[in-house]
Amino acid sequence: MVHPLSGQAIYVVLLRELKRYWRAKARVVSSVAQSIFFLAIFGLGLNGLIGGFDGLGSGDYLSYLAPGIIGMGLLFGSVFSGVSIIFDRQFGFMKEMLVAPVSRTSIIIGKILGGAATATIQGIILMIIAAIMGAFTLSPAFLVGAVAAIGAMLLIASGFVGLGVAIGSTLNDFHAFQLLSTFVMWPMFMLSGVFFPIDGLPLPLQVAMLCDPMFYGVELLRWCLQGAGTLGAGTPLIASVSWLISLGVVAGFNVLMIGLGTYLFSRAQI
Amino acid sequence: MVDYKMNTIEVKELTKIFDKKIKAVDGISFTVKEGEILGFLGPNGAGKTTTLNMLSTLLRPTSGTAAVNGHDILKEPDAVRRSIGYVFQDTTLDIELTGRENLDFHGRLYGLDRSTRQQRIKEVLEVAQLTDRADNLVKIYSGGMKRRLEIARGLMHHPKVLFLDEPTLGLDPQTRRSIWEHILRLNQEKNITIILTTHYTEEADYLCKHILIIDFGKVVVLDTPDNLKARLEGDVVTLLFKDPAAIQTFRRLLENKDWIRRINVVASGNNYAAISRMMQPTRGTSTEMEAAPLDMNSETINEQPQQKPEQPVADQNVQFMGETCSKCLNLLVDNGGHRIPEIVKLADDTKVVLESVELRKPTLDDVFLSVTGRNIREEEGSIVDMVRRHLIVRQARGQPVKG
Repeated sequence: MVHPLSGQAIYVVLLRELKRYWRAKARVVSSVAQSIFFLAIFGLGLNGLIGGFDGLGSGDYLSYLAPGIIGMGLLFGSVFSGVSIIFDRQFGFMKEMLVAPVSRTSIIIGKILGGAATATIQGIILMIIAAIMGAFTLSPAFLVGAVAAIGAMLLIASGFVGLGVAIGSTLNDFHAFQLLSTFVMWPMFMLSGVFFPIDGLPLPLQVAMLCDPMFYGVELLRWCLQGAGTLGAGTPLIASVSWLISLGVVAGFNVLMIGLGTYLFSRAQI
Repeated sequence: MVDYKMNTIEVKELTKIFDKKIKAVDGISFTVKEGEILGFLGPNGAGKTTTLNMLSTLLRPTSGTAAVNGHDILKEPDAVRRSIGYVFQDTTLDIELTGRENLDFHGRLYGLDRSTRQQRIKEVLEVAQLTDRADNLVKIYSGGMKRRLEIARGLMHHPKVLFLDEPTLGLDPQTRRSIWEHILRLNQEKNITIILTTHYTEEADYLCKHILIIDFGKVVVLDTPDNLKARLEGDVVTLLFKDPAAIQTFRRLLENKDWIRRINVVASGNNYAAISRMMQPTRGTSTEMEAAPLDMNSETINEQPQQKPEQPVADQNVQFMGETCSKCLNLLVDNGGHRIPEIVKLADDTKVVLESVELRKPTLDDVFLSVTGRNIREEEGSIVDMVRRHLIVRQARGQPVKG
């Protein structure tokens, strides 16, 4: 069956995601609060012990932590919003969408855009909170960077919603949620360079971090918000283009995951 | 022979085989004229929902085809989808949204512009009598309200054809009545052609112009409710025995009477009822609902006024044909009223104790029993077979969709 993409269908699915997000205030508050705890407790608690990193924000540990914590909000928000197609299926709403004269591709594009939008809103909230906490050097240049960061967030988040959709199309029950969280999300988060820079780590850990798409996402956010990254600290040549590498990997991951999610969803059971 | 103008739905040799071996729907053909209500009547797993899923293009048939509102389900799936409203068996509302938002979502999915949406929402809310609750979240709606909202939503895009899959499953008798009236009103006022599936015979009888009895994926019979009932001439006399052991003896005495047309021992269906409950945790009340006595024709004559007072009332009110009864014998009898004294005398003469005698006109339950050889609420075979069959069908319904 071939349908063209329907703009209105994409829009309405997106709108539904936004409405549901807006109504689930408890969820929003709790995930934002979780990120603030990370920022405040780790940022202040470890600052004396570790200190900051040259060239990143105001040079304290809070500044180092901030882009990674924003990334964490994006990662968890977007993957779960993709995986929520399991709930749509379980509670039957999926059938309502599937029997309509619109393509599955339209439905899933709307879902991905909606998930990316809500995760990005979460990211923006965290960005503002981190700025208030003093993680960024506020200047006119920072405002430009913040706008770029919002673009980066949308790009990162849509890729991870795609991943969530791919997982949600393959798995059929809620119980997989816990496994997903433990074996996919947490390793991705912890290997993303949120707590420590990649430079100087044991080789296996470095390799693992380089294989983590979220690492590049966080790197990209660092560039946008703080004007520098952590990749290739010892090699100026790599360090100067690490934003480009990160952008490339994030964009590639995005295309791959959206493609995979769309494909798996189009083949999934009702 | 094929006239799309006359027949809103035209089904030819439609077949669905799951996993290369399970024939869920086995070469069924039928037509539905414009403005008609057709009922699919059959037990769970008979192939009713699978047929609707094929007609709505959610499932691709293994072979055969159909036309809905003049559009081929294989060649013009989009046109078919625009022509139909499908109210699924399980709820498909977004309970985190309000009633109005659910309707609006639907309108947008079907490409209606803003002013059309607003006007249609107002219209269908009125039909469903939900206008004053439109802005409540669906999660606080009652079961009947949800059902009415779903039916209302199915009408938003002005479909020519409405598919209702078990529209009143699990609802209380009162709500059920109101949904029935609602369906009839839609059919009459908007001339919508409707196919509904049900395993409540009284629902099919009340609503449908034609009834298609479907069993093991095949059309067993297609006729009007009255014609179906006319197939069973005579009256049904149900005897309730005090001692089940006497049934077989008594049956042999009756077998050679020329006024007896048919004798059935209604087997116990308790197993099936229990399994249904187990399989459908969310709609757990459905099997109890089946026993709701809606048969206005029934008339019970108590033969023994000195019945033991401690006898639970429920035992007296066994739904003889509809529900389970291991102490019953059903007779299809010419002139039933006049034969009761004879039957009772026979019982007295042979010292068989009858607890009650019931006389009524045949219902669709009896018709179902006579054409399929089994009770609509029962499955043949062992419990294991029943469970297996049930599971297979449930899994099979979740097959990948070409789309």
